[in-house]
Amino acid sequence: MRRDSDTLSSVPFPRRGLLHLGVLLAAVAVAVSFPSMAPSPYEITVGIAILNYAVLSTSWNFVGGFTGYISLGHGAFAGLGAYGTGLLVVEAELPPFVALFVAGALVAVLAVPVGYAALRVRGASFVIVSIALVLVLLLVFQSWASFTGGSRGLVVPRPFPGMLRAEHHRTFYFLFLALLATALLVWWAIDRSRFGMGLKAIREDEDKAQSLGTPTYTYKLVVFVVSAAFTALAGGLYALWFGDLDPVFQFSILSGSYMVLMALLGGVRHLYGPLLGAVAVGYALEYAKVEYGDTPLHLVVAGLLLGVVVTFMPDGVIPAVGALLGRFRDSGGTSIREVTAAELRGRREQSEGTEVRDGERSGRSA
Amino acid sequence: MSEAEGAPEVVPDHEPEPSLATTGLTKAFGGVTALDSATVTFHHGKVNALIGPNGSGKTTFFNCVTGMIRPDAGRVAYRGRDLTGRPSHRIARAGIGRSFQLCRVFPRMTVLDNLLAAVRPRSLAGQLARAGGREETERARGWLARMGIEHLERAEARQLSWGQQKLLELAGVLMSEPELILLDEPAGGVNPALIDRICDLVRELNAEGRTFLIVEHNMDMVMSLSDHVVVFDCGRPIAQGPPSLIQSDERVLGAYLGV
Repeated sequence: MRRDSDTLSSVPFPRRGLLHLGVLLAAVAVAVSFPSMAPSPYEITVGIAILNYAVLSTSWNFVGGFTGYISLGHGAFAGLGAYGTGLLVVEAELPPFVALFVAGALVAVLAVPVGYAALRVRGASFVIVSIALVLVLLLVFQSWASFTGGSRGLVVPRPFPGMLRAEHHRTFYFLFLALLATALLVWWAIDRSRFGMGLKAIREDEDKAQSLGTPTYTYKLVVFVVSAAFTALAGGLYALWFGDLDPVFQFSILSGSYMVLMALLGGVRHLYGPLLGAVAVGYALEYAKVEYGDTPLHLVVAGLLLGVVVTFMPDGVIPAVGALLGRFRDSGGTSIREVTAAELRGRREQSEGTEVRDGERSGRSA
Repeated sequence: MSEAEGAPEVVPDHEPEPSLATTGLTKAFGGVTALDSATVTFHHGKVNALIGPNGSGKTTFFNCVTGMIRPDAGRVAYRGRDLTGRPSHRIARAGIGRSFQLCRVFPRMTVLDNLLAAVRPRSLAGQLARAGGREETERARGWLARMGIEHLERAEARQLSWGQQKLLELAGVLMSEPELILLDEPAGGVNPALIDRICDLVRELNAEGRTFLIVEHNMDMVMSLSDHVVVFDCGRPIAQGPPSLIQSDERVLGAYLGV
């Protein structure tokens, strides 16, 4: 019995690994060559916007995907990262990229008390606390005009003063790409670790996880801080790229909602879910903005996408496509009915399914 | 409280080593006193049972000693170590594992991952190490095989039947390597064949050195399985002793039958 299930499970894995590697290499090749293929700098700025969304959404997914705590206020950390970087450059006259990492570290430190308080509540209460966070910060940054520039905004000097516009975009495209790669790598490392297994147990049943010995509160707090730090780095990089910050956009409930929408669209349980969602939603938003200008139609598009996702693919695109592909493959998979090993073996011998015979053949040759 | 120990022929020749012990444990929910100054001692290395009518405070007792809720007063000790008010993951790390009355598994994880999630890494490096290494996967498969559900290891836990989920929950608890296992109604909603199976497992695991504390309404199971029985009524123990004495105790009959 054990041997059978081993054989069945071991067959698709090398193939799946190769497929995975192939798709990954192709995606990296497209992403790296995109700036040189883009017909004008405008396409590169769209690429940057999408990469920015992808970093933000992947950062959000450290908390949302692993622990299931839905934060709608993650825009707060992006805004703090952006203003932190900007103010450190303008007020403290730090070099731009030093300012970026100092701001990221400061936001990580700030995320400890914020997470300490917010993670005490679950479900809808946590969502509301996270919204409160971003709204409070919006008020602070609008009102404290002498320091933040208030509603007039904050102008952040360009980090590469002599650089041409196209080259500026190209450089930031690769900086965002590097940040995205780092965030994905860390997410992947947590996903496969025992720490990640503990976080996923929290998502499934927090009290049960704790009763098995997982220090749930510490785990949640650690991953919350990691998430806030990556979100802040994305915000800071945006500040250096875009060069102009306005509290209304930085501390917007909308930016946090986009992160959630993108992650949900792609699939929060999957490494590439938020990235895929960011490409789809980011492209749709940019398209709506170009075609319909300053109308709020891009919000209608976002709302429609959210509706489609929660109605037809509640787990996101990646699991939905995976399930579809799974129908064609793996049909010799594990039965969950209560059957004895002898019954299973008998049924398998009767079956004429090629995939079963394939499985047995490779089992024999192994 | 200890009158049941009156008959000299059943008093053990040496005092049993205490396992879980509470003194004056009290918990009220609003005006309802669920635990009323409960002082109990369970025996190390034995199968202990906690019985009593519905609402007598058994599950509240479980939740207080496992840190799921904080008692209002009183102390909890395990083998002489004070655990009062500790969070539940600390109590798990002290060697106490538990199952839940309405069996709780991680529904959207695979059966194998349900067990791997119960591994408790001790060091920072251990936390960051890959989950499902060779050693722990072998150990997990061993427990699944022992429960007879090893063919389901790749199924999602929510796809399992109720009985299979009960076995999975027990396997998960065992994976966390407890010395003392608290089972809250292990026979609840389970068919007679599986009850026998669970009883056999408890006996085997006890013979291997694990202590059990079982809350159960199935009296046949309690009487055949346990070495020491504590009877709760109205949030406090009214009798304790070996099953043979408990069965004939008038207060127990009164509490159960309303005589």
